[in-house]
Amino acid sequence: MKRLTIISLIFSLIYSVAFASEVNVFSARHYDSDIQLYEKFTSKTGIKVNIVSGKSKALEKRIIEEGSDSKADLYITADAGRCGAFKAKGMLQGGLTSDVIKLTVPKNFRTSQWVGIAKRARIVYFAPERVSGAELVGLTYESLADPKWKGRLVIRKSNNIYNQSLVASLVKNNGKKATAEWAKGVVSNMARTPKGNDRAQILAVAAGEADIAVANTYYLALMLSGKKGAEQQEAAKKVKPFFPNQDGRGTHMNISCAGLVKGAPNKANAISLVEFLLSKEAQEHIVNNTFEYPMIEGVSPHPLVVNMGLDFKQDLKTKVVNYGKKQAIALEVMLAAGWK
Amino acid sequence: MRINTWYVSSFLTSLIVAIPIVTVFSSFFEDTTNYFEILKNTFLYEYIFNSLTLLVGVLILTLIIGVGCAYLVSFYDFKGAKFFKWALILSFAVPAYIYAYSLTAFFENYGTLYSILKTIFGDGNYNKQIPKFDGMIGAILSISFSLFGYVYVLTRASFHHQSQNLIELGQNLGFTRQKSFFSIILPSARPAIVAGLALVAMETLSDFGSVSFFGISTLTTGIYDSWISFDDLAFANQLSFYLLIFIFALFYIENISRKKAQYHTPLKGGIKIKKKIKLKGIFSFAAFFICAIVFFVSFAFPVLQMLYWSIIFPKNFIDLNISQLFFNTVVLVFLTSAILLFFSFLSNYGNRVTRSKFLKLLSTFSITGYAIPGVILAVAFITFIAWFDNTIIKFFGLVSIKKIFIGSIIGLVIVYFIRFYSLAFNGIKSGYEKINKSIDESSYLLGYSKVKTFIGIHVPYLRNSVFLIGILISIEVIKELPITLILRPFNFETFATTAYIFASQDLLEAAAVPSLFLILIASSFILTTSRYILKG
Repeated sequence: MKRLTIISLIFSLIYSVAFASEVNVFSARHYDSDIQLYEKFTSKTGIKVNIVSGKSKALEKRIIEEGSDSKADLYITADAGRCGAFKAKGMLQGGLTSDVIKLTVPKNFRTSQWVGIAKRARIVYFAPERVSGAELVGLTYESLADPKWKGRLVIRKSNNIYNQSLVASLVKNNGKKATAEWAKGVVSNMARTPKGNDRAQILAVAAGEADIAVANTYYLALMLSGKKGAEQQEAAKKVKPFFPNQDGRGTHMNISCAGLVKGAPNKANAISLVEFLLSKEAQEHIVNNTFEYPMIEGVSPHPLVVNMGLDFKQDLKTKVVNYGKKQAIALEVMLAAGWK
Repeated sequence: MRINTWYVSSFLTSLIVAIPIVTVFSSFFEDTTNYFEILKNTFLYEYIFNSLTLLVGVLILTLIIGVGCAYLVSFYDFKGAKFFKWALILSFAVPAYIYAYSLTAFFENYGTLYSILKTIFGDGNYNKQIPKFDGMIGAILSISFSLFGYVYVLTRASFHHQSQNLIELGQNLGFTRQKSFFSIILPSARPAIVAGLALVAMETLSDFGSVSFFGISTLTTGIYDSWISFDDLAFANQLSFYLLIFIFALFYIENISRKKAQYHTPLKGGIKIKKKIKLKGIFSFAAFFICAIVFFVSFAFPVLQMLYWSIIFPKNFIDLNISQLFFNTVVLVFLTSAILLFFSFLSNYGNRVTRSKFLKLLSTFSITGYAIPGVILAVAFITFIAWFDNTIIKFFGLVSIKKIFIGSIIGLVIVYFIRFYSLAFNGIKSGYEKINKSIDESSYLLGYSKVKTFIGIHVPYLRNSVFLIGILISIEVIKELPITLILRPFNFETFATTAYIFASQDLLEAAAVPSLFLILIASSFILTTSRYILKG
């Protein structure tokens, strides 16, 4: 018994002993493919990547409480709103300003403290059987509040960060008052009380529970790929994507982002990991596994994403920093409208 | 004054376990954000309403299932009765959050049931006919089927000890079987049933995995959100206060009913072995059918769903580093149970030899860790360490202790310790109560020291209790989710965290393999101890 205790103690100590050259990542992206990517980085540079994964807010809380003793170097999450909110708490630092970053990432998707590593669009899905082309002409996020969609729309809960970022962009563009009215309209159009994740919204349209759904782009591609099984693949074929706001500012874009944590003990390694994530090799790996859009030029998305259409207008006007800034207002107007 | 080692160690243990409660209440006076001032009351009512709905739903279901099954296997002889007696406790191996994943996977649009229907009947739009078990209903079902075992085990033990005399009394009075059940059997088992329900209630209120999966805002998720997302400690504390009132009430009820339960231990000599009624024909089949359904729904269903996925998506099986996960889980299980057993032995023995009223009171207070949801414990622990480091350690100019306690195995084991101390302490205590104090005295008379009495007599005497408690702690640690998730070190995953992380990324099929392993390991632990568990 005693010997076993000692052995397990030693092993547990090994976990906490620092590696010579390392970078510590707090990640809210839990793709297995990300881990393979980090392994590639390690074999290239000799820098070991240590990971703690979890939900974004819990990770943020831990970094904040650890304070100046935190080992965290990079914070990676799947929403610009979260990177922005973390920056607003003073938990990030400048330094992501190397030429590689500046030359590859469009200005709209970076600050000196955090930078986008992949893109996704939040779009509308519809059932071609029940929604005519004429109904979709000129569809905008704003027009989702139109009474013609009454009882036909599904979207997830207001506590979902993707929704909060989408509504934050509406607050930025149309103001709080108009967005509050809009939220009421959306709530009255809902086919059911919000539940489930993005994929469940798409499935609801496929199953005939609703006619249109709001969800991120990569979910449909994931279902079409067959990775979720034959039935989901069949269901995915019953819905079609639609990119809203084409006549105006463009479709709402969001990013997966990496933020440089204040007091990072391995700052230089963290910056080189970000630069690696923005390399052609890494970007190809990301888009082929997660079905996101690449952050850099010269890399093509996964063929299934290409099939959804690439020549749509992205909203490059609304800076993604606003998703963090307007997040609280967004949540407030949704809750006030009775958005569960 | 001579320093009493037993006294000091018991005192320190209690102090550590009291950390989270102190933290929750001490931050009552901190700054708050006013942002959601207007909406707060609406939130508060919603949280309380949801917690209550969940609680009532789970209590009703677990009462019916737990007592019903216990009654059938205790009083009747039917085909499979012996099998179901222990098979029904396998439901302990399935955590509510894994049950929730299975439920969703099976019933969702284009889910497993859809595939089955399509295979049998050909193409068709079955989605509209398939019932959807999500939201509140889903949470009630998931929690009920993973917790009804508490009611089942305790009620069955109580039925088991019920004397034949009582039943004959009913027959002599000319009661029908139904009337005997409601007016004699059930009332005399009431303390055990209430104790089981109180445990179920506490676990329900502290559930995090399944309610957050179904997106229901309860007091527990509300505390977590206001603490973590809105940095609103005041509101978090207000909610914690309501939750603690709920929990202390339950604790109190459970305590009272446990005291009452002692009264009906049958007297020596007056007991007759109970004759089981042999069921025949349709009745035998009905009893079998009911137990089979409960066994199937609570255990076989989630296992089969996870197995199905592991088979049709074999890539997930290959990708997973199972030996590493297994090793991590074993390290945690081993460290936690060893430390817990050691300290609860110490405290119990301290209580026994010092006979101090103050110590007794302290140890009663210190077992409340079980009543506080794990997710709250974890956050309270981080907050406490940060506070301690920023004030006391900095004041003395010492090296920061945060790295030692946050994101380390040590911190993780400490919080497990706080969470499961009550389980270990009470388990050892009930074993100790069976050792007559005169044995200690004889040992002292023979010239044995206190330490020698402890090691030479108590430890071997309590071997069975220790074994059982060790296994129960292990099962809890294997299933534990929120504490592990928040406090674990870099590159450290368990089966539970792996399953959760895949599920939260909408990769339920990838969550199947770790879930399946978790259930299998917990099941094997349960099977090795089923004999002891069934003794109650």
